[in-house]
Amino acid sequence: MQNVIKNILIEIESIVLGKPNECRLAVACLLAKGHLLIEDLPGMGKTTLAHTLAETLNLSYQRTQFTSDLLPADVVGISIFNTDIKQFELHKGPIFNQVVLADEINRASPKTQSALLEAMEEKQVSIDGTTHLLPEPFFVIATQNPLFHAGTYPLPESQLDRFMMRISLGFPDVEAEKNILLSLSRDRTKAIENINSREDLLVMQQEIEKVHASEVIIEYIIALCHVSRGQTVKGFDNEAGNKILCRPLSPRAGKALLGAAKAWAFIDNRDFLKPDDIKAVFSSVCEHRLELSGHERGDNNSVSQQILQAVDVLNPLS
Amino acid sequence: MFNTARKINSPFALSYQNSWLLWFCQLMNISSLALEISTWMLAILALCLCWQALLINLKFNSNKLAKVSPVLLTLFAIGGCIAIAITAANLGVLISMVHLLTFAYVLKAFEIKRRKDFYQLLLLGLFLLAAALIFKQNLIFSFMLILVLVLNLMVLMLIFSPSKSLPSMAKTISILLIQSTVLAVVLFIVFPRLSPFWQVPSAKSAQTGLSDEVSPGDIANLALSNDLAFRVDFKGGQIPNYSKLYWRAMTLELYDGRKWTRANNIYRKAKETKPFKPETSGQAINYDIIVEPSFQSWLYGLAIAQSTDIQIKNSSDYTIQTRNIISQISHYEINSYLNTSLDLSIDDITKKRNLSIVQGSNPKLERLGRELKSKYVSPQERSNAILAMFRAEQYFYTLKPPLLTNNSLDQFFFNTQAGFCVHYASSYTYLMRAAGIPARVVTGYLGGEYNNTSNEPLSNTVKQQGGHLSVYQYDAHAWSEIWLEGIGWFRVDPTAAVDPERVESGWSSALLEQQSSLNNDFVDLYQLRNIAWLNALRLQLDALDYQWTRWVLGYSTKKQFDLLKRWFGKDIPWKVSAVVVGSLIIFMLLLNSLSRFSLWWFKAKQATPWLVLYNKLRLKLVNKGLKPTSNITPSSFALLVTEQLPFLSSDFAEFTRVFECLMYQDLSKKQQDELLLHLKNQYVKLKGKL
Repeated sequence: MQNVIKNILIEIESIVLGKPNECRLAVACLLAKGHLLIEDLPGMGKTTLAHTLAETLNLSYQRTQFTSDLLPADVVGISIFNTDIKQFELHKGPIFNQVVLADEINRASPKTQSALLEAMEEKQVSIDGTTHLLPEPFFVIATQNPLFHAGTYPLPESQLDRFMMRISLGFPDVEAEKNILLSLSRDRTKAIENINSREDLLVMQQEIEKVHASEVIIEYIIALCHVSRGQTVKGFDNEAGNKILCRPLSPRAGKALLGAAKAWAFIDNRDFLKPDDIKAVFSSVCEHRLELSGHERGDNNSVSQQILQAVDVLNPLS
Repeated sequence: MFNTARKINSPFALSYQNSWLLWFCQLMNISSLALEISTWMLAILALCLCWQALLINLKFNSNKLAKVSPVLLTLFAIGGCIAIAITAANLGVLISMVHLLTFAYVLKAFEIKRRKDFYQLLLLGLFLLAAALIFKQNLIFSFMLILVLVLNLMVLMLIFSPSKSLPSMAKTISILLIQSTVLAVVLFIVFPRLSPFWQVPSAKSAQTGLSDEVSPGDIANLALSNDLAFRVDFKGGQIPNYSKLYWRAMTLELYDGRKWTRANNIYRKAKETKPFKPETSGQAINYDIIVEPSFQSWLYGLAIAQSTDIQIKNSSDYTIQTRNIISQISHYEINSYLNTSLDLSIDDITKKRNLSIVQGSNPKLERLGRELKSKYVSPQERSNAILAMFRAEQYFYTLKPPLLTNNSLDQFFFNTQAGFCVHYASSYTYLMRAAGIPARVVTGYLGGEYNNTSNEPLSNTVKQQGGHLSVYQYDAHAWSEIWLEGIGWFRVDPTAAVDPERVESGWSSALLEQQSSLNNDFVDLYQLRNIAWLNALRLQLDALDYQWTRWVLGYSTKKQFDLLKRWFGKDIPWKVSAVVVGSLIIFMLLLNSLSRFSLWWFKAKQATPWLVLYNKLRLKLVNKGLKPTSNITPSSFALLVTEQLPFLSSDFAEFTRVFECLMYQDLSKKQQDELLLHLKNQYVKLKGKL
């Protein structure tokens, strides 16, 4: 099973150049049954990553470009009267795919956004009173432009919470960019090698749930949540006193953190969690849940970094 | 701050059970002082407690709102205070303050409405217990006080953490007590004993033991008392015969027809200029005396007693006195010269004073004295004649003599013929003076109870060594001294002529029976002595109490100073002050570290062995100059080590790997043990490299 993971990563990294960590995070998110939000400027490879991920994993895939006039029915699907058989016929929307790429999700109106986000949480949609189960695995990759861009509808906190991770790709380094410009990356049109079957993915997801989290690890996660909730932590001081300015982490956030860390450990070929796993995924899992709206993200010392600094790894709850 | 204030002022109500517990606790606290409180006050206290009991019953058993009107309570309080103020003159300052304290303590319980009221009540209770120690400090009493203290603490615990089970409560209390005991012992030994800024005021009624004037009938009161007067430690040396154990306290030379008094003032004028230093000869016996507080200045010694202590004055009548009254248990060392004669020559003033009789106060005795003077030439013969009279006629020794009108010695000598030591000593002395021989009455104690915790009474025949002598108030005695040419002051005990057993070996059983029927003390001495095992137990307890007195209560400023001197060499003032400052600092540090230590201890107990090992090694690496933050993970730390201390790289990586497995992996017990062993090996290896 580990070979499969390795191959997937190699495959993805050969297309999304110079971003091994982000690729790995994206895979971890998928394995942990979470949805992924990629936030970045246009042209940074968001769509490439999403597309590659779906192709590599051999999953059904559809891309929807979100625009301000997109309607919920365009996402979910619609019943149309078929005059031939004189019956309403369901036209399934793009959401009935295993991997859904919702491009520029924050350009759509809130109404459409929430239709998608509801489906993400429930893993089912209701059209004209009939409930339709979504396929398994179901994985939404949404991309969004940074909030200060014109014509965006920011996702509310409650909907941001539905995404297990938010990653941003960022500019590639010189080497990677050189390779991109020299078109050393594989051609998009060239068929991506299907490595994985759907069954393998489901087995892996089950395996991940068995990854052992010791009590210290659980305490570490709790301690991190506590800090975000303003509980003072012994021996920790930042400039603004002991309190970190952020939104509190919910138990769902804690669960997401644990799940993502387990997937990370699984990718690392381990059957137990280490604090390093938590640290590796913490920023991606929690930053979008922590940030205050309208608060500009700091580059080097983000809120999640501050929280990580506040907790003693070996003795989290002291 | 605001928070605590609000908490303290928060309303407070007790449950039914806790109310009774508090009530019981109050009862115990008050009874620790019961012996010092006068009867009327005890009645008031009992009334208040009954009242409270009634209130508790009303409140919980019949849902009525039981409340005492504040006006009534205030009136009651004012009334009580007035009563205390009125009796204050008789009671003395200290006792009336104790009355006020207990009264306030009982009344406070009526108005527990807020948390702070409850705190105040408990603190008052503790203060009450401390006050009880002013009056009594012996071992058994102290032990009982500790029990009451525990009761107080239990009330506190029960009310503030009711969820705690009894064992865990007992554990908390005992931990607290042990901690405070350790602290108390350290403070007891090294903390400087500053002389108090205020003296505990002593009331006249607080005086116990002999008084400086004696009239027939006085010592009988003492004879009923089973209280300890003092203890003697002969330091392993031989103890003189019982019949030689005349502990002189004072000589009474003035007689006004009713009572004997000290000739103190006259002495002072003549002798104050230079300290009296008696001539001594022969071998001295050396012993320590530990006196119970008597609130007087008399000390006790055998024959010519001398002390090197500057706090002790030697008087010209060979008695010793302290410069201050004995308000607490004190300890002094005495050298006694049993074979030295007292005053081979006396001056005329002294002679005259010791010959003076009040003409006409006891005409029959005067006549008898004159007859003796003409009948016998030598003073000894006159004395023997009187003693023979005591022996021959129907005199008997009793603690309950018939009353004498105006303390007439005539009446005693010729009519009633029943009395105890003072009667005999007075009449003998009076007769001797009438017969022209200088004589005086001496008061003090006779004998004592020998205790080396073997159940052997001190006797004439067996020479005892070791152990100590306990002298009780009922050993109080009076005898006479006559001055003979060439011999000096010669001790004559007329009681010996009447009741030889009293003088030879102590109380006869008939006397003991008499005493036990007369006094109403809890401890019935007569019965005690007749039941062998009880007596043995009593002696054991006495021995224990003696050690307690000697080592704990007797640990005086001087002893502390000696101890510190032994530790720090010569008593250079700066060293002493360094000790003072040092012990203060140690005290503070101890208090501080005690809390930290217990925290650390608690934490260390929780930590797993691998975490302990890891932290140890980490600390060593930090000492090597590595600066890990607390949020660094073990693997990142391993990377840091690899980077900065490459020679450790592979070993530390392995150590970290094993540690991580132990810390985070799901392992069976067996696997854990194996890995822990591996970790330890790796630790030793790394330690060697460092």
